[in-house]
Amino acid sequence: MNVSLDKQYLPSERYKRHAAYLAVLAVVIIGLCSYFKFEPLLFISDFHYMADLVVEMTPPNFEVLWRKEKIFASILQTLSMAFLGTLAGGAVAMGLAFLAARNTTPHPAVGAVIRTLLAIERVIPSLVILLLFLIAVGLGPFAGMLSLAVGTIGMFGKLFANAIEGAEKEPIDAVHSVGASKLQVIRYAVIPQVLPSFIANLFYAFDINLRAAIGLGVFGGAGVGYEISMAMRLVRYRDALALICFTILLVFAVEKLSDWLRSRALGQDLLK
Amino acid sequence: MGANTARLLSFQILARMIDVRQITKSTKEGVPILKGISFTVTKGEFVGILGPSGAGKTLTMRCLNGLTRPTSGEVLFTDHEHNLVNLTHARGRELRKARRQIGVIFQGFNLVKRLSAIDNVMIGQLGRINLLRSLVYGFTDDEARQALAVLEHLNVAHLAHRPVGSLSGGEQQRVAIARAIYQQPAVMLADEPIANLDPTNARKIMQILTPLAKEMPIIGVFHQPDLVMEFCTRIIALKEGVVVRDGDSKMTRSELVDLYGAELSEIEASQRILQPA
Ligand SMILES: Nc1ncnc2c1ncn2[C@@H]1O[C@H](COP(=O)(O)OP(=O)(O)OP(=O)(O)O)[C@@H](O)[C@H]1O
Ligand SMILES: [Mg+2]
Repeated sequence: MNVSLDKQYLPSERYKRHAAYLAVLAVVIIGLCSYFKFEPLLFISDFHYMADLVVEMTPPNFEVLWRKEKIFASILQTLSMAFLGTLAGGAVAMGLAFLAARNTTPHPAVGAVIRTLLAIERVIPSLVILLLFLIAVGLGPFAGMLSLAVGTIGMFGKLFANAIEGAEKEPIDAVHSVGASKLQVIRYAVIPQVLPSFIANLFYAFDINLRAAIGLGVFGGAGVGYEISMAMRLVRYRDALALICFTILLVFAVEKLSDWLRSRALGQDLLK
Repeated sequence: MGANTARLLSFQILARMIDVRQITKSTKEGVPILKGISFTVTKGEFVGILGPSGAGKTLTMRCLNGLTRPTSGEVLFTDHEHNLVNLTHARGRELRKARRQIGVIFQGFNLVKRLSAIDNVMIGQLGRINLLRSLVYGFTDDEARQALAVLEHLNVAHLAHRPVGSLSGGEQQRVAIARAIYQQPAVMLADEPIANLDPTNARKIMQILTPLAKEMPIIGVFHQPDLVMEFCTRIIALKEGVVVRDGDSKMTRSELVDLYGAELSEIEASQRILQPA
C-alpha cells in the first residue's frame, strides 16, 4: 500500500488530542472554583434561607391577577417589547448581515467596518444599553424595546452574516452565469438558502428577548418584570409568586406557539 | 484582395462565436492546470469535449463564461449583435450582457435547492428582465407558462412545483438543462449534461440537444465516446490541460486508448452494462 495516513489524522492521535483538551478544561474549572472560593457545599448548608423564602411565598396569591387589571396590561407590555424588539432588531440585523458577509458585501471595506461595529456592539452589556436609552427616551417600555432591538442586532447580525457566508457557491455561480446582477443573485440564490435559518433564529431571538424583557422591566420600570420586583420590594411575597407562576406559564405558552409557527414557516419534508 | 474575399473573411470572423486563444490556468501555488488551450467554435457546431477525469474540462468551460479568469490567454465571444466581447477582461454590465447569451449546464447542476423547479428555470432569464421587477414582484404568469413548456419538453413538467432539493439526480439534471434552454442563449456550454441519466434517457437528451445545436453552437463535455461520435459534429480531446486532438467526430479505438489510458476499460464496462436494449 502506498497511501498512508498523516500522523495527525490517525484516530488514536485524535483521541489523545481530545483527551488532552478535556484535561486542560478540567484543570481550568477546578482552578477557577478554588481561586474564587466557589463552594458547592455552601449552597446546601445555607439552603434554609431559600426554604424560608419559599414558605413565605406560599400559597401564591392568585387573586392579585384579577384584582389589579394593570397586571394584564403589563404582561402585554412585556410581550410587545419582546416582539417589536425582535422584529426591529432582526430587520436591521439582516440588512447589516448582507453588507457584512464577504460574499455579498458591496465592498470589502464596508464589510470590515460593519463586522467591527457589530463586534463592538456585542461587547456592550445590555444593561448599559438600557441605561443609555433610559436617558434618551425616558423610563418605560420603549427604552426596553430599543435595547432589546440593539442586543438582537449585535447577536444575530454576526450569525446572519455567517449564514450568508456559508451559502453554497454553486447556485450563486449559476445565477451569475445567466447574466444576473448582484442584487438578483442575492434575491434568487442567496436568500432562498439562508431564509430558513434566518426564520429559525428570529424565533430563537424572540424566546431570548421575552426572558430579557422580563428582566429589563425590573430596571426600566415597565412590564411584568417591574410588577414582580415591586411586589418583592413591598414584601408581598405571595403576590410575587402568583405573578412568577403566571409569567412562567405565559412564557411556556408563547414558546409553544412560536415553535408551532416556526415549523409551519420552515415547511416540512415531503415524504411521509 | 477582392471584395468577395473580404466578405468571406468577415463572415468567417462573425461565424466564429467562441474563440479561445492560448488560455492557461494555474493554481495559487503555480501548478499549471490548463496549459495553453486554443480552439474556435462556429455556428452550427455541436462540439464534444472528451478527456480523462481531471483533464481540465470543467475549468475550460468556466473560462468560456467568465466564471473563472484564465491566468493568461483570452476568450473572445461574438454576441448576436456581432459585437466582439473579450470575456477575459469584461466586467460589470458588459460581462453580464455577454453572459445572458451563454447558457451553462453545470456538472453539479448548481440549482437553488430551496426553490421550485419552475423558479429555477425562470432564473435563466434573470439577465433580461427588469431589475426592480425581478427583485420586488418576481416572475410573470407568461414567464411561468413558458418555463413550464420547457420543462414539459424535457418530460419533467409534473415536477414543476417541487423544491429542487427533493428531486433525484436525473430529475435535477433535466431541470438544469431546462434552465439553460429557457435562457435562449446564443451559445450553450454543457458540462456532462447526461452524466446522471440512464442510457435511454441520455440518448433522449442528446436528441433534444442535437437540433438545438443548429441554432446555437453547443460545447459539451461528455464521458460517453460512443454517444459523442453518434451526435456531435466535432470532437476536442483534452488531456492534462492540453488539447491533444481537435477534429471530426470519429475517433478510433487506439486514439481512445491513448486518451483515456486505464480509465477507458471502466468507461467501456459501464457502457456495456448500461447499453439500452
Ligand atoms: N478551485 C481549484 N483549486 C485547485 N485545483 C483545482 C480547482 N478546480 C480544479 N482544480 C484541479 O484542476 C484539475 C482539472 O479540474 P477539472 O474540474 O477541470 O477536471 P475535469 O476535466 O472536469 O474532470 P472530471 O471529468 O472529473 O469532471 C483537477 O486536477 C482539479 O483537482
Ligand atoms: Mg468536470
